[in-house]
Amino acid sequence: MPSRLLDLVHNTFRYWSLLPAIVLLLVITVYPALQLLQMSVSTIEFVDGRDVWSFTPGRNIELLLSDPVLPPAILNTIIFVIVTVAVELSLGLGLAILVGRLPHGRGGARTAMILPILVPPVAIGSMWKLMYNFDFGLFNQALDGLGLGPVNWLGSTNLALISVIIVDIWHWTPFVFLILFAAVEGLPVDVIEAAQVDGATNRQITWLIVIPMLRDALAVAFIFRAIFAFKVFDEIYLLTSGGPGTATEVVNLHLYKVFFEQNQLGYGALLSVAFIAAILAFLLVSRRVTRDTTR
Amino acid sequence: MLRRRVVQTLALAAGLITAAPAMAQQPFADVGRQPPITILINSSPWYAGFESTVQLYEKQTGNKVNLDVTPFGGMLEKARNAVRSGTSPYDLLNLDTQWTIEFYSGGFLTPLKDIDPGFDLPAEVLTYNDSGYWNDAKKWRTRDGGKLMTYSPNGNVHLFMYRADLFQGAGLKAPETWDDVMGACTKLQQPGRVYGMVTRGERGNGIRFDWMPFMLGKGATVAKDPENGDFTVVINSPQAKQALDTYIDLMKRCGPPNHGALGQSDVIQLLATGRAAQGMVVVAAWSNFDDPTKSTVAGKINAAVVPKFADGTHGVVIGNWHFGVPRNVPDDRKKAAMAFSKWFLTAGAQRAYLDGGGIPVRKDALPPELASNPKYRWVKAYVDSQPYAKQELGYAEGPQVEQILGLRLNQALIGEMSSGRALNTAAKEIEEVFRRSGRRTGASAALPE
Repeated sequence: MPSRLLDLVHNTFRYWSLLPAIVLLLVITVYPALQLLQMSVSTIEFVDGRDVWSFTPGRNIELLLSDPVLPPAILNTIIFVIVTVAVELSLGLGLAILVGRLPHGRGGARTAMILPILVPPVAIGSMWKLMYNFDFGLFNQALDGLGLGPVNWLGSTNLALISVIIVDIWHWTPFVFLILFAAVEGLPVDVIEAAQVDGATNRQITWLIVIPMLRDALAVAFIFRAIFAFKVFDEIYLLTSGGPGTATEVVNLHLYKVFFEQNQLGYGALLSVAFIAAILAFLLVSRRVTRDTTR
Repeated sequence: MLRRRVVQTLALAAGLITAAPAMAQQPFADVGRQPPITILINSSPWYAGFESTVQLYEKQTGNKVNLDVTPFGGMLEKARNAVRSGTSPYDLLNLDTQWTIEFYSGGFLTPLKDIDPGFDLPAEVLTYNDSGYWNDAKKWRTRDGGKLMTYSPNGNVHLFMYRADLFQGAGLKAPETWDDVMGACTKLQQPGRVYGMVTRGERGNGIRFDWMPFMLGKGATVAKDPENGDFTVVINSPQAKQALDTYIDLMKRCGPPNHGALGQSDVIQLLATGRAAQGMVVVAAWSNFDDPTKSTVAGKINAAVVPKFADGTHGVVIGNWHFGVPRNVPDDRKKAAMAFSKWFLTAGAQRAYLDGGGIPVRKDALPPELASNPKYRWVKAYVDSQPYAKQELGYAEGPQVEQILGLRLNQALIGEMSSGRALNTAAKEIEEVFRRSGRRTGASAALPE
């Protein structure tokens, strides 16, 4: 091969060696995203076994703006995200610090802690639905044993959302714990020992040394949990299907109903695009905020 | 010579006598050798009956049938993926009644007579308001000008279940009207132990399906005359409001406090554990009540036709399933699917289906004398329900209308809005759906809220 060509190949190798990865990315990410965008401005019907597309952006936007279920779904989603993330971060952090202080058995404690994450979502839904059952559930039987009346966990508009939130907290706190516990284990021991020698109390060490050093891990846990919380679906679908009324309706569940149950593919795609945009915006803002606080 | 003739005659008579049982058992079809087929079927209370019938088909014919048993929640997407792909992995799809419009109008199924021009549904087969026929010009499920697209392997209708032992003890007759139901509820319910009456109230399909018997009983409907193109929304009529008020009254006074979240499994559970004196469920749930491994009240529950209003008629909603042949299946498998279908719809197969725990779709598999057998005491109510049974939401916008009704009815039930406001809101939203679809629509006078 002529030496000039060889030089060219050698100098540009780092660019064209990325080609397979770029092609793969385009195929599995960019192409579906572009098709989703195309769907979001179309109405798709089926005639003679074939899909027929018509360009109807105005119609889909009108549907989005006049959808009566969307506002409560957005509100419930925001409440769900705020409450679950706040509680899971607090509990996860507390548990990570406590387990980190154990002189023995940290490994066993960690293994026990992560059990809820291992349970499949459908099993979680079935299990908790049984426990919340008004007539036969464990919780109401326990309340009955204490001489208290049964509680309408999943059928009361005041309680249904908090009941689902409890399930989410039970399910995902171990995930936050894992991230933070790994960070706790990686904390420099000499800094803490130095603080102890200087006479700092446990409380002062926790709040003024440990937690600040965990900021990066907290930021990671926060972003992961927030994104998952925005996308909550299986717990709501299995426990309440968005009811009673719209008490537990969330955006992802509504999207599922529009797309799969109502078969409104175009409008469902527009909802998806809007939802993705909202999560991306949240992600950008979070990154900015967490970057500023970790400086 | 005479002696030989007598002997021959006697031999012939003996032969006929011994062959009679075999001949009487031959109401099956000879379908010949067929390639294997795959059926998409839902896991349901009647599945065991269907499975045993399929096993009988395989034994009799030597033809292989694969069953893809799928929970209800996954059925629609599997069916959609099958018909939208190159070649369907399924040769028979089982479609719930509300999905059929999508598959008929989308051109995803092959009309059954296009596969086998000689095929006709036997006269004894129940057609459930002709939901297996599709008139593409009218976009309506009707035999009139319609092609036969599917047939029902299961005709789910509501039955009214009641505790015969409690009724007898209280000197009550089987309930005929909703007033009877309320009267029985008042007498029989024991707060904290036995509910007077249970039925679904959960948001969505549950409350929509279980409220519609009340709606039909009052002669109300969603759209004025959709079969003939008049989609004027009339759901917010005084009759519909009375129907909703009665339903809510019964649920609040007779049902559990969590009536707004009651699903089908909850209703079945409450009836089967003796926690409910009366309840409304689909006929396919019957097998839960007489099985001593599932029920503490085995043998104690009876079935009746869904009660009516004193000034109305029985309202019975059909929720049947449909077997259809996808268009994108090779011809030999289509023919094999039709062969199975012909066999399945024979009297012999349907009797075997009944014996296995299924709900037959042939009238002659459900003779009146069958009800004298305690095991089949539901049969009379099921047969008596047929003249009143109606299909609802038989148009392309059906799923959207169901979601609207499923939400607003639930909100009325849990007290978030009055029944008048719920029906007015639903009417407005449904009218909007029809308008966007280009239907000839309009509104009725609003109800007082």
